Amino acid sequence: MSGREPRRAVVTGIGAVTPHGIGTEVFWKTTVGGGSSLAALDRGGCEGYPLRVAGQVRGFDPAALVEETFLVQTDRFTHFAMAAARLALEDALLADADFDSPYSVGVVTAAGSGGGEFGQRELQNLWGQGSKYVGPYQSIAWFYAASTGQISIRHGFKGPCGVVASDEAGGLDALAQAARTVRHGTDTVVVGAAEAPLAPYSIVCQLGYPELSRATRPDHAYRPFTSEACGFAPAEGGAVLVLEEERAARARGAEVRATVAGHGATFTGASRWAESRDGLAHAIDIALGEAGCRPEDVDVVYADALGVPEADRAEAGALADALGPHARRVPVTAPKTGTGRAYCAAPVLDVTAAVLGLQHGLIPPTPHVTDPCHDLDLVTGPARAVEARTALVLSRGLMGCNAALVLRKGGARGPHR
Amino acid sequence: MTDQVSYEVTLEDLAALMKRTAGVSVDPDQFARQADAGFDTFGLDSLGLLGIVAELEKRYGLSMPPDAERCKSPAEFLALINSALTTGV
Repeated sequence: MSGREPRRAVVTGIGAVTPHGIGTEVFWKTTVGGGSSLAALDRGGCEGYPLRVAGQVRGFDPAALVEETFLVQTDRFTHFAMAAARLALEDALLADADFDSPYSVGVVTAAGSGGGEFGQRELQNLWGQGSKYVGPYQSIAWFYAASTGQISIRHGFKGPCGVVASDEAGGLDALAQAARTVRHGTDTVVVGAAEAPLAPYSIVCQLGYPELSRATRPDHAYRPFTSEACGFAPAEGGAVLVLEEERAARARGAEVRATVAGHGATFTGASRWAESRDGLAHAIDIALGEAGCRPEDVDVVYADALGVPEADRAEAGALADALGPHARRVPVTAPKTGTGRAYCAAPVLDVTAAVLGLQHGLIPPTPHVTDPCHDLDLVTGPARAVEARTALVLSRGLMGCNAALVLRKGGARGPHR
Repeated sequence: MTDQVSYEVTLEDLAALMKRTAGVSVDPDQFARQADAGFDTFGLDSLGLLGIVAELEKRYGLSMPPDAERCKSPAEFLALINSALTTGV
């Protein structure tokens, strides 16, 4: 063991369950092709609300990827998380791994609202029939910590576990927490976020958000950085990544895709979008500082892209403040306009796209956006071929959290091939 | 007046409840052979047993003894449940 070389957290596996489909490959292919899975919300019980367009995960058979004992005790958001975790471990060639110690693997997830569908069913039983009709798994299933716990139980991981509850930006904060855990001595951390907000109770909760798009046309519902911006379309699904200590990953011959190089987080208050400019700019400064990057090193930005004019202006301003003149040159993209915003999972899907984009030398475009009205080089139309080394991923939450994450292609010793 | 209703809850009933309320499938032969083994052997946790107790209480309209949810094995659980059901306590 070389004592002087710092421990670095690298991405070695990715699993995604998204509106684009089940698995990382279909997510990437659709994303890089500029495809959109936004459509009329047609899930049973969800009709009749003034939310018409969303990113639904269709064709998801949880029983194909998760054992029944876990399914009955968990909500759909945990089904997504457990399925994505399994896909990520398979992708990292760790699915059947005999880890040296169960304590060498940790789990970190983020979730914004927990298990709304499960909770609604049990609360309806409570008020409709009485307390004896509430199942005991209600105590754990609707709790936003459920996914971390169930992934850890299912795979027998006993290393440091955690749950980040910091709004949508929590998806990036979870990755930062996982990277810290790796740097502090745990060799492997399974990290990500999944959400299932497309159930009646959850939808009613979201109707209180002024930022929610009430548009009826899927191609008009979520168009950030344009003069037609009218809010965001929500989505369900999630992604999970396997982070490993770089030397340990190389020692077992794993493919080192990207390094989690820097992170910054700030807070500027719920729906105070003008103020998020300053908060986001500071988060970018902190993240670049930790990564040892100059502004001009950033080759691509995955924007938060809320789709609210004031928030879009603040984000463009934050990039100008943090990156200086480079903000007008660096390609900016928001592939989430093709999936919708899956709350905490949204930035994790962006990290997934960013890692794959670095690997493939491509920047996926921003679906549904053709005429950006900000001074940004927004990638629209076809994907752009760029041999990028460094990606900056941004996220803001409706409750005021801001976060920035810097990813670098490959590991410290360059891309592994 | 004597109550003629048979309240006996069998291993098969318990296996069906485990499947329905906790998603736990057991092999009938193994279940019968290892009725003295801990519930954890079959993958049932304490919340799962709590759910089964609640189901039985609804089915028979009786409160089960507080110890029911603390039983360690299917055999111990069925003995306690059936005793409570026959005495009506």
